[in-house]
Amino acid sequence: MLDEQALDEVYTRTCQVMTELGEARTPLFLARLCLLLMKEVGDAERIAAAIEAARPDAAD
Amino acid sequence: MGARAGYHEYFDYRHHPARLPQLVDGADPVRHAVAIVGGGPVGLSLALALARHGVRPVVIEADDTVTYGSRAACISRRSLEIFDKLGVARPVLDQGLAWTAGTSYYRDVPVYRLEMPMDANQKFPPMVNLQQCICEQVLVDQIERLGERVDLRWQTRLARLERRDDGVEVAVETPLGPYRLRADWLVACDGARSLVRQSLGLRFSGTTYDGTYIIVDILLRSDYPTERRAWFDPPSNPGSTILMHKQPLDIWRVDYQLRDDEDPEEAIKPENVLPRVRSHLRWIGERDDWVPVWISAYRANCLTLDSYRHGRVLFAGDAAHLVPIFGVRGMNSGIDDAYNLAWKLAWVAQGRAPERLLDSYSVERVFAARENIRHASKSTEFMAPPSKAFELMRTAALGLATRDRFFATLVNPRQTSAIAFADSPLNAADSESLPAGPPPGAVLAECPVETAVGRRHLTELLGLGYTVLAFSPTDPRPALNGLEDLPVGLVWLAPAPGAEADAWDPDGRLFALYGAAPTACYLVRPDGHVAGRWRAPTAHAVRAAVGRALH
Repeated sequence: MLDEQALDEVYTRTCQVMTELGEARTPLFLARLCLLLMKEVGDAERIAAAIEAARPDAAD
Repeated sequence: MGARAGYHEYFDYRHHPARLPQLVDGADPVRHAVAIVGGGPVGLSLALALARHGVRPVVIEADDTVTYGSRAACISRRSLEIFDKLGVARPVLDQGLAWTAGTSYYRDVPVYRLEMPMDANQKFPPMVNLQQCICEQVLVDQIERLGERVDLRWQTRLARLERRDDGVEVAVETPLGPYRLRADWLVACDGARSLVRQSLGLRFSGTTYDGTYIIVDILLRSDYPTERRAWFDPPSNPGSTILMHKQPLDIWRVDYQLRDDEDPEEAIKPENVLPRVRSHLRWIGERDDWVPVWISAYRANCLTLDSYRHGRVLFAGDAAHLVPIFGVRGMNSGIDDAYNLAWKLAWVAQGRAPERLLDSYSVERVFAARENIRHASKSTEFMAPPSKAFELMRTAALGLATRDRFFATLVNPRQTSAIAFADSPLNAADSESLPAGPPPGAVLAECPVETAVGRRHLTELLGLGYTVLAFSPTDPRPALNGLEDLPVGLVWLAPAPGAEADAWDPDGRLFALYGAAPTACYLVRPDGHVAGRWRAPTAHAVRAAVGRALH
């Protein structure tokens, strides 16, 4: 499990890379990051749960 | 930054006359040991701290009274510990509003609860809200109480500065006429636009964020408790971020971020500010009438000088570094600068330590500024996203945080805390791996102790010089013989009431907190940072560690 500071660092790093790439290339970056993290998680059930949790509802 | 407007005065400013010393050939005939430029919270704290060490500083302040407007608002526990030593903690606590907690909301859902460290060991709350003008007045009152020990000169403006190998000569202007003043040392505490910094041709390095915040102080009667509240995208102001802090005398500080497409000059006008504040106050349920007191604009800066010592000129506070407001590290880091510098400058000015000791001030406090900037940048990037990417990620994090506490930590505002100098040249090697306790470079962990005159706190036992905290069931003095020539005081801390100990552990907490069973020895600097620690008291280790400051 990531601790507070580690989460903070990877969060910020992600923001920085997205800033460098610009808005147009960001969706492709996020899609690739998503696929790589799927490989790291390696568990279809947990990935499926994350997919549902990630889906924004009308309020988001 | 830029335009400011005052609408209502709630503080009774005392105006002080200019004074001229008896001049000889247009000059103050006294050669001063230390001149402080700027009588803000940093300069005034430094003056009090120098006086405590037996140096009589002259402070030149351009204005005739304490600061106007909406400035620093939060005083940290570390600053309170310093104020305690300067004799001003009590009036700050009496007039300020102590707080420990806060809530962050995404729209109308609470997503993060801030709980700052507050346990039974502490002498002071983690944070006290107090307007800077009141804080400065407390410091001025204390300086007046000290009488001749501090020479505070109001309405005295720095005009020019000349550096010499052995000191500084400045030209000052007053309503009664100009004069020259010489000093062995000069400390620039003259704020973000420091004239001293400019006249030495020094430049800040670092980054400036684009996002602008509007800061609005209002007079509002409300019983809502003192805590930090932050709203992201609130229904009252969709798309905005709003912060609210309660201050004494029914003043509330409301901060909100402007959108990128808003012109700050337009946005600061009351007709654009007041409807937003009104909308927010209504939405959070404040029904009473209110009036604006002060409106200003703010932009986050992460800037520092690379060195705070330039020959006989030293820099402290905003003159040395600018840190974003989020996390309240501005004035608090300046007070820490002053307290770090005071004993070193006093010892050098008195010929008790070599000039090199002042280089450790620069090394330590430049490091602290960079650490403060690193932490404050994280807060700033969340409070005021510097790009679309940061904004998108924040929206994602806030949305997930409403359902999953794992993401809530990203909302943590990361309030200020004392910086530890792990690599300070004044640190002795930490080779005896104690199981707990502050390592060299860190500040002491507070803890209650029992003494013959009742319950005290550990930090109250520190003296003006270095202090040896000798944790021992038996008399540690034989092991600490032969230190009489050094500026070192000895405090014997016993695990249980003992005939001759200076203090003892009330319930086992103290020895556990310091990893001190059965014995330990902590050497503490005059500014409360640990210089070295060992498993048992030894005169030889203490002598070597104190020698790092004296040789």
